Amino acid sequence: MKNILSISSLSIGYNKNKVLSNISLDIDQPKLITLIGRNGQGKSTLLKTLSGLIPAIDGEIFFGEKINKELNHKEKSKLFSVVLTSPPAINSITVKDFVAYGRYPYTNWLAQKKEEDNRQINQAMELCGITNFAATNIANLSDGERQKVALARAIAQNTPIIFLDEPTSHLDLVNQSELFDLLDQLVEKQQKTIIISSHQLNLALNYADEIWLINNNQLEANTPEYFIKSGKIEALFGGLKLKYF
Amino acid sequence: MTSKFSILSIGLVISSIVLFMADLALGSVHIPLASIVDILLGNEAEKESWNIILISSRLPRALAAILAGSALAVSGLQMQTLFRNPLAGPYILGISSGAGLGVAVFIMGFSVLGISLSSSVWFANYGIVVSAILGAVLVLLLLMAAIAKLKDIMTVLILGIMIGSIATAFISILEYFSQEDSLKSFVLWTMGDLSSVAPKSLKMLFFIVMIGLVAAFSISKQLNAYLLGEDYALSLGTNVNVTRYLVILVTALLAGSITAFCGPIGFVGIITPHIARIFFKSANHFYLVPLCVLLGINIMLLADIIAQLPGSDKTFPINAVTSLIGIPFIFWIIFRNKKIAALN
Repeated sequence: MKNILSISSLSIGYNKNKVLSNISLDIDQPKLITLIGRNGQGKSTLLKTLSGLIPAIDGEIFFGEKINKELNHKEKSKLFSVVLTSPPAINSITVKDFVAYGRYPYTNWLAQKKEEDNRQINQAMELCGITNFAATNIANLSDGERQKVALARAIAQNTPIIFLDEPTSHLDLVNQSELFDLLDQLVEKQQKTIIISSHQLNLALNYADEIWLINNNQLEANTPEYFIKSGKIEALFGGLKLKYF
Repeated sequence: MTSKFSILSIGLVISSIVLFMADLALGSVHIPLASIVDILLGNEAEKESWNIILISSRLPRALAAILAGSALAVSGLQMQTLFRNPLAGPYILGISSGAGLGVAVFIMGFSVLGISLSSSVWFANYGIVVSAILGAVLVLLLLMAAIAKLKDIMTVLILGIMIGSIATAFISILEYFSQEDSLKSFVLWTMGDLSSVAPKSLKMLFFIVMIGLVAAFSISKQLNAYLLGEDYALSLGTNVNVTRYLVILVTALLAGSITAFCGPIGFVGIITPHIARIFFKSANHFYLVPLCVLLGINIMLLADIIAQLPGSDKTFPINAVTSLIGIPFIFWIIFRNKKIAALN
């Protein structure tokens, strides 16, 4: 069986300054992967490199059998969607129109929506619980609501892979666990592979199928149980006593 | 949204027809409206002189105003979206300075070399247009080369402003060394003149502007994606580099051709997209492009009417009129919103 995502000898960073090198990973089935590590260790750089927004210094990324270098923007936009830490710059747009951006890879040059597009948009809004304010201007939403709208846009893009860069940062505790709950459902019911960076250790360890831990310029991938038992997470945060529940 | 758009555009079409007729009717010689309609429909006019005034002077000028208004407004909109800057306009990348340098070299450089332009009117007219286009294209090529090298679009913007300043510096040197009469022709060019478009060139200008406007509308989807920021635009499958090239090409085509034929005309390109956003309350380019065309036409016709106010054969320079309408408008936006209207 071919892998959903394969990373081979990947080195990442900005302007030849390597942040992480020689990463090799395979994802063979849909799962929720949480990327954890302290600030400045390269979480965002990794997500941006995987999503093609910055070039890799070295190594290859395969999506199924296709190598990322040979994919054009259009093809990539049907393979994965992205939610970045920087909020989208647009303000005067309704929630529904914003979520509709997710259908851009599928619509014609006039951006006309077909039945399938509307179905995907409505489904994404329903999943994220934002159907009630479909007609509201996104400028009038709270940070947490806006985060859900951003996620709904990525879901509407209907890609097998979703990259999320710290989507929990503006959310309160209830919203955070709701978000992880939703991601968990997406993996189970829609067979998505989701790679999310987060500082929410408890939730990450609780919900993730796999953890990618970045420490001292090394990326290690394993199950949450492994990291808890090995004490590596405590080591990462400088011996802070953590309680898992 | 579509019904609001229809109402707005119908209203703007009606007001542009009214302004178009008013622009034709006003001037030093009074021509009754009924006769104007008669002449436009191809019927015989009561006086032969009315026919000549209208067909060879007022009509080409009003048509030039329509082309200039729509072209400058749309290229301003595209620049504001590309650079995410509410004060960007068609001239922000130094296209007008480049065209100005071309014209300055042509008008003043030739006289320094001892070649007189007055020997041939034809040579003088077409020479100005061709040299303005060459100057604008030169700036454009420099920018295209920069975009290939530079990733960050804001750096390109700064570079454009620098190139414009260099062109202006060269123009000053030429001005300092040039003869009085050629200096005067150059200064007159910088004031803008809608009546300098000959009826024959009007066809060509119409053709160029139509290509530019259609091209501008056809990249509306890409520009809408651009509103999210370049990273999100990329992740939605937009080819950001191609879009940049296209936007700059379209702007060079629209603003460059208008500047070549009519001289620089300021502020229409900056304020019109803002008025469109204030009216329509959306940043969707599929609606903003046609609205900018209609609003640009209205504003330019109004400016041309104001330019006729002296009532004799003298008119105000059109570039001064657009600045006089444009700048107070920008003040009004700033004080109304306490800031420039947001782009999106």
